[in-house]
Amino acid sequence: MAMLEITGIDIFRGETQVLWDISLTVEKGERVAILGSNGAGKSTLLAAIIGMLKPTAGSILFHGLPITGSRPFENTRRGLALVPEGRRVYKEMSVIENLKMGAYPKRGRSRMAETMEEVVSLFPILGERREQLAGTLSGGEQQMLAIGRALMSRPELLLVDELSLGLAPVITKEIFRVLMQLGQEVTILMVEQNVEQALKYSQRAYVLESGRVVREGDSRVLGEDQGIRRAYLGM
Amino acid sequence: MFLLALTNGLVIGIIYALAALGVSLVVGIMNVVNFAHGEFYILAGYFSYHFANTLGMNYLAAMMLSVGLVLIFGMIIEVLLIRKTYGDDLYSLILTFILSIVLQNTYLLVFGPYPNKPPNWVKGATNVFGQFYYGNQRLAACGAGLVVIAIVYLMLKKTWFGRMLRATSQDREVAELNGVNTTALNMLSFGLGCALAAAAGVILSPIFPVTPTGGMAVALTAFVVVVLGGMGSFWGCVVGGLIIGLVENFGAAFISSGYRHVFGFIILIFVLLVRPAGLFGNREI
Ligand SMILES: Nc1ncnc2c1ncn2[C@@H]1O[C@H](COP(=O)(O)OP(=O)(O)OP(=O)(O)O)[C@@H](O)[C@H]1O
Ligand SMILES: [Mg+2]
Repeated sequence: MAMLEITGIDIFRGETQVLWDISLTVEKGERVAILGSNGAGKSTLLAAIIGMLKPTAGSILFHGLPITGSRPFENTRRGLALVPEGRRVYKEMSVIENLKMGAYPKRGRSRMAETMEEVVSLFPILGERREQLAGTLSGGEQQMLAIGRALMSRPELLLVDELSLGLAPVITKEIFRVLMQLGQEVTILMVEQNVEQALKYSQRAYVLESGRVVREGDSRVLGEDQGIRRAYLGM
Repeated sequence: MFLLALTNGLVIGIIYALAALGVSLVVGIMNVVNFAHGEFYILAGYFSYHFANTLGMNYLAAMMLSVGLVLIFGMIIEVLLIRKTYGDDLYSLILTFILSIVLQNTYLLVFGPYPNKPPNWVKGATNVFGQFYYGNQRLAACGAGLVVIAIVYLMLKKTWFGRMLRATSQDREVAELNGVNTTALNMLSFGLGCALAAAAGVILSPIFPVTPTGGMAVALTAFVVVVLGGMGSFWGCVVGGLIIGLVENFGAAFISSGYRHVFGFIILIFVLLVRPAGLFGNREI
């Protein structure tokens, strides 16, 4: 059974339909990327999975259990976690308090100290800056904090929206490298505009265009595809 | 005269801060201005009067029970009235305004027009600075106010509930992503806001007996303190409360007691001219 199984969902934002008949699966331990240009509906898809938006049709299953229409706090308690677009750290709280807040769901709270150590060893800078207000961190540090905060709930499925947004390539690379270290423990579904990185660090990928899945498959195969290269890599 | 005004200002200021904390909490978490805040203060005063004087309960037990009942009443109001208005600030303003009028008239019908005064906790007066005698009840009220403010501070800084509140007031959507049931949190924080009004009510009503319409002045002062201190800021409430308390009492002592509340407004206008977001505010308005 797939960890995440989405079948034929439609999503509206206000009056306008943004996603049409999206189907997608993620197996345990996989890293899957969602690609697409601005406005394709990538963030909308993640928002729908975590429960910020309700599908008007179709279903979302997590470990075979329907979670369509559940709210974000329920899904987080179940083992999903979203690193939102634009990081959204609690700017007026310290690094350590941001991390603690991530551990709020029971699954995270019972192992908070242990997870905190793991997160700090993944991102040592967070340990050095533990008392600093999150709003005063650099963009890269804030992204590390946002990922660390999501990991604090000990998620099984981590949804990451535009990790690379506004970050220098070396920082992006560093953060991707850390995500790879999580290995089989955490399954990752990531949204990326940086197609080259996304294909490099994922095993499978879906391509969204105007709210529809237009391609899907093995990341390496997609990376060699002439159409994809022309459309997204400018080659 | 000077020392008396100073003492009065600090004592009253602490209670203003307490009343303002409740408003500030509800604004910070829910973006709702509770116009009926003062009526919850008054309700607690009536409760504590009747529990102690009519039913003969111990004054402390009467106060605790009153605050608890107002907390529950506040949560019920959130579920029945406020919950439907989220996202429409004007609507919640109108609803709580109507609620405040309905409550005032209900108090008039049920409790009558005359002031009700719960029993004093302590008797006598203390010589302050060797200058004048000051009512022990007022000193005790100030101490009680400080204790409640300290409890609120510790709750905000040290508990999971406080962390949830701070996170939610900064970014409600992300707090929900972190597993916070923000619907339940709204209910609790509205109830807590009312309970803080109630705490101020039970502490102050032995000094200023409650009347059906007495809540309006309380709410108005609380709003002035919140705007002066900066929306949603804990220290803003404390400092703002003290400033308004001091300004009113110095103004009343040295200029004219008839204009007591005007002095607070004048200070507010000056501060807003210089710092539009209030003393401790950093939110854009
Ligand atoms: N809050 C909103 N209200 C109405 N429409 C929205 C809202 N947010 C996004 N949209 C619309 O939904 C469509 C998909 O947006 P979405 O944010 O999912 O795209 P995206 O693929 O994540 O884009 P980007 O790469 O720029 O982040 C866009 O046409 C956008 O204009
Ligand atoms: Mg997006």
